[in-house]
Amino acid sequence: MIVPFQHLLILACILFLLGLMTVLVRRNLIMILIGVEIMLNAAGLVLVGASALWQQLDGQVMVIFLMALTSAEVSISLAMVVYLNRRKKTIDVRAFDELRG
Amino acid sequence: MSALELQSLLPQIILALGATTVLMLGAWYPSRKWILGGVVIALFAALSAGLMTPAVPEVGNLYSTGSYARFFVVLWSLLGALSLLLSLRYAEIHDLPGSEYCALILFAICGMSLLSAATSLIGLFLGLEAFTLVFYILIAFKREDSRGAEAGLKYLVMGAVATGFLAFGISLIYAASGSFHLPEAFAGLEQAGGMRPLGLAGWALMLVAIGFKVSLAPFHLWTPDVYQGAPAPVTGLLATGSKGAVFASLVPLFAALGPLKADLEQVLWLLAALSLLAGTFAALPQRNLKRMLAYSSVVHMGYLMIGLLVGGSEAHRALLFYLISYAFATLAAFGVLTSFSRVDDEPQEYADFRGLGYLHPRRSSLLAACLLSLAGIPPLVGFFAKFGIIAAALKGGYPGLAVIAVLAALTSLYYYLAPIVVLFMQQRDARQLRRGCRHEYFVLALCFSAILLLGVYPAPLLDLLTGILP
Repeated sequence: MIVPFQHLLILACILFLLGLMTVLVRRNLIMILIGVEIMLNAAGLVLVGASALWQQLDGQVMVIFLMALTSAEVSISLAMVVYLNRRKKTIDVRAFDELRG
Repeated sequence: MSALELQSLLPQIILALGATTVLMLGAWYPSRKWILGGVVIALFAALSAGLMTPAVPEVGNLYSTGSYARFFVVLWSLLGALSLLLSLRYAEIHDLPGSEYCALILFAICGMSLLSAATSLIGLFLGLEAFTLVFYILIAFKREDSRGAEAGLKYLVMGAVATGFLAFGISLIYAASGSFHLPEAFAGLEQAGGMRPLGLAGWALMLVAIGFKVSLAPFHLWTPDVYQGAPAPVTGLLATGSKGAVFASLVPLFAALGPLKADLEQVLWLLAALSLLAGTFAALPQRNLKRMLAYSSVVHMGYLMIGLLVGGSEAHRALLFYLISYAFATLAAFGVLTSFSRVDDEPQEYADFRGLGYLHPRRSSLLAACLLSLAGIPPLVGFFAKFGIIAAALKGGYPGLAVIAVLAALTSLYYYLAPIVVLFMQQRDARQLRRGCRHEYFVLALCFSAILLLGVYPAPLLDLLTGILP
């Protein structure tokens, strides 16, 4: 491997934390979903790197599963975004605060 | 995949193909009768799992086909069939599209049974996501209900973040150990040397994700909102099946963990204790039945966590018995709520129930019986289940947790008795609610007899559980 595994891990951790911060800080539903995508891509990066490190294909198989799953999740969550936007005319998550007790 | 492997995975294939067929045919012949078709498919899957001997012990290094996995296929299929039966009238009243609803529930059961059968981290991930994705849709399934939309949003955001944690955790474990297959992954972590911290970090991230999925404190904050907003039959399946399937997959995982468990012990202890305490204190002031059940489910997850922490076949048997008793009581409680629900609203505030015991004596008594079983009152199954867990904690050397568990059980009497008192209060200002239908009565009667019979005569189920434990 040309790139040392540590560097890859550091990059992936930075990506994961960036994604997590996006989820925690942003209040726009689309941005939150993008943050989740970044977290999942960090996982994919580690998997590809580890698969090269161990000289196996398993990790890359998992990445393909991960991509398929992500696309399914995106299609469902974007449908939710459209539906929520129709209900409240906004996708700011702060608008959804009816449930409490 | 060879023909033998396909034959071994037949129950799950029946569920997935059945769901697809219902979804497709439903586009041409929209009808709520498809829900009955879904019941037949689920029962068929349960039968094929119960009667057929699988040809290979493991499919593609992903899913086991052993007796443990098959037992859970049967259990989730039956639970799914029961919640479909419950939903039949509900779907009619709330005008839900029948074939889509039925297909989604079948997909969820398929995901749960795959998850309980997982022997590799890939299998675990796919099974878990298969039903999480379905629940994103099902929770917001009542389109005209704004509370359902909000609940769906909350579950979506929490679930997506949990998925991120799970994926990153799994990738770190793989990076440290070089294998997804559970025994090898743990063996790899044992001798990984410099990579071992990486694997432990992966485990920590996975625990966060699992905490989100089964709503362990401090990751339980979504639970009450989602329970309150989701349609009652969906909440029933979410509370029983989705949490139960995660625990069912954790039992073999922790059995294979070996010496690595010592590193996780303190974290697990904290998770269990926090869930017991936080759930109990949050449940005390609730005046909404669904929210109360949500917080009390956090407490129940704490009990299950004790079983997981103690380990050993005795504690794991107690855990599975607890899981089954909790599943039947909870499903029946949400079943009663389903059968009360009208076009405009589902009654869930205690104010709606005041004196309802005189208007609808049978269903109110049944609701009371479920709550008493969840509280652990002797002739019902909940008592025996709680006793098993606490005894296992004492035997396994966790007296502190046992004390917390007993205190939580005693305090739980307050919040379980509160709705029962309201139900049978003298002032009767409850309105007449909907009359139940045959299907609902059948499901409720079945759950009630399970609660009662297992409480009086638990030996056969305990023997069965001893036989299937890996």
